[in-house]
Amino acid sequence: MSFLEFDNLSAFYGKAQALRDISFSVEQGEIVAIIGANGAGKSTLLDSIMGLTKTSGDIRLDGKSLVGLGSADIVKSGVGYAPERFNLFPFMSVRDNLMVGAYTARDDIEKNLEAIHRLFPRLEEREGQETSTQSGGERQMVSLGRALMTSPRVLLVDEPTIGLAPKLCDEIADVLARMNRELKMTIVITEQNANFAMKLASRLYVLESGEMRISGTVDELRDDPRLMEAYFGH
Amino acid sequence: MNIRWYHLALWAAFIIGMIYLPQLVSKGTLRTIIFANYLAIFAISWDVLSGRTGYVSFGHPFLIGLGAYTTAILTKRFGVPVEISIPAAVLVTMVGGSLLFLPALRVRGSYFALVTLAFMELMYQLVQVIRPDLTGGTRGMSGIQTLTRGAVNGYYLSFGLMASLGFAMWLLMKTRLGTALSAIGMNEEAVRGSGLNTTKLKLAAFMLSAFVAGLGGAFYVHYLGSIAPRALFDINFVFTIIVAAILGGASTIIGPIFGAFFLTFLLEYLRPYLPGAERYFIYGGIALLLYMYEPKGLHHVLQMALSAIKGKSRS
Repeated sequence: MSFLEFDNLSAFYGKAQALRDISFSVEQGEIVAIIGANGAGKSTLLDSIMGLTKTSGDIRLDGKSLVGLGSADIVKSGVGYAPERFNLFPFMSVRDNLMVGAYTARDDIEKNLEAIHRLFPRLEEREGQETSTQSGGERQMVSLGRALMTSPRVLLVDEPTIGLAPKLCDEIADVLARMNRELKMTIVITEQNANFAMKLASRLYVLESGEMRISGTVDELRDDPRLMEAYFGH
Repeated sequence: MNIRWYHLALWAAFIIGMIYLPQLVSKGTLRTIIFANYLAIFAISWDVLSGRTGYVSFGHPFLIGLGAYTTAILTKRFGVPVEISIPAAVLVTMVGGSLLFLPALRVRGSYFALVTLAFMELMYQLVQVIRPDLTGGTRGMSGIQTLTRGAVNGYYLSFGLMASLGFAMWLLMKTRLGTALSAIGMNEEAVRGSGLNTTKLKLAAFMLSAFVAGLGGAFYVHYLGSIAPRALFDINFVFTIIVAAILGGASTIIGPIFGAFFLTFLLEYLRPYLPGAERYFIYGGIALLLYMYEPKGLHHVLQMALSAIKGKSRS
């Protein structure tokens, strides 16, 4: 039994099917990347885990099904989510953004805040600043910090490098790697930036038009012509 | 809770100043302040729901009317003492608040606003048609028991109610609940994605808003001693509440109080010069300018002025 398992997962927006029979698994303490072009279904996959889309099939975390649970219960069962383009509360301070993440956490709020400040010292320095006035990199840190406020066992990060400069991408990659190493956190990221994904993850899954086309370890796929074809179109 | 000492000091100064106010101003001014106090209560109620969660209600008189009519009918038609009729009115209004909440499960934005407007219209029609022997029909009701005599007592009661409701809501909005309600107004999807139950949170906002509206409506009708459906379920009344909240600074609690006082006094002091509806052009113009250049409202203007003074005194 794997830590996070997907069994024939399909997702729907009304009558349109966004994901088709996706099956894969993630081991505890692993970083896995789902890569694919725009519209491949990456964000839908993460939204499905969070119970934000209509799905069929099964998703299990540590053997327990997440299907049918509301987002609140999914977070309680140990899933943290940092959505695409940060999805912050723009006219709130950094601290208040983090506190929204802590809403369901009854204990350990101060301890979690300290851990987040250790990971992102800049957030402590600017805790009173409105996030609408922050840079893209800082907002991504707030987004990740908010997801960490409930001490998740698995962290879902949707396109963490979108719109960020290469230097900031490296910074985010370092932080995610530290979270994985120091907090023993299982991480699932979605990415369009295949280089970033390969640098960070141990395994890759390639989504194309809602279907899982290719999967394997980074070493297996690094020079795989199918990846070049599926992902870069040549 | 993110409360600084000077927040509490400002509240204390405001309350102490208002306690001594009757000794400094005329009875006419006190009566104007009484209306400002009640408008502030209604604007606070609107702000807790719409200013925070972004679910803009055009139907707040529905809630205020439920509170007002319930206590008016209970006291006048059935001889129920106000000690019972007012809590009953608040309960009925909270039930009404849960009815108003139902559409929020399915619609939002302008659609939700229109649905709430329909609630107000429905209530207006119902009080005229259903049991006019109880509601007074189109004429409304008069001779309703008043709780105080004279402007000074009326002032203290209305101010006590407004200040205690305002302070309680302000404290509550400083908690994680308040932060989460504001977050819904900015990005409901992200709130859900953070694992919060937005349905429960929105219900809490509707209940709180209904509680304040019901209490305000009940006390207001016992101040006026009468109720007139045409004035209560009137779109101008809705806009006055909304403009007071936004003009003062929505999502702040203090802002709607500022806005209510500013608006009431502006309209009152313009009356000798512009006795007709022209006054509303002036207040509309001021509101328009403020929305365009300072959408965070008077509360923010005051905050900036205080920061500038602090900055000068430091240098």
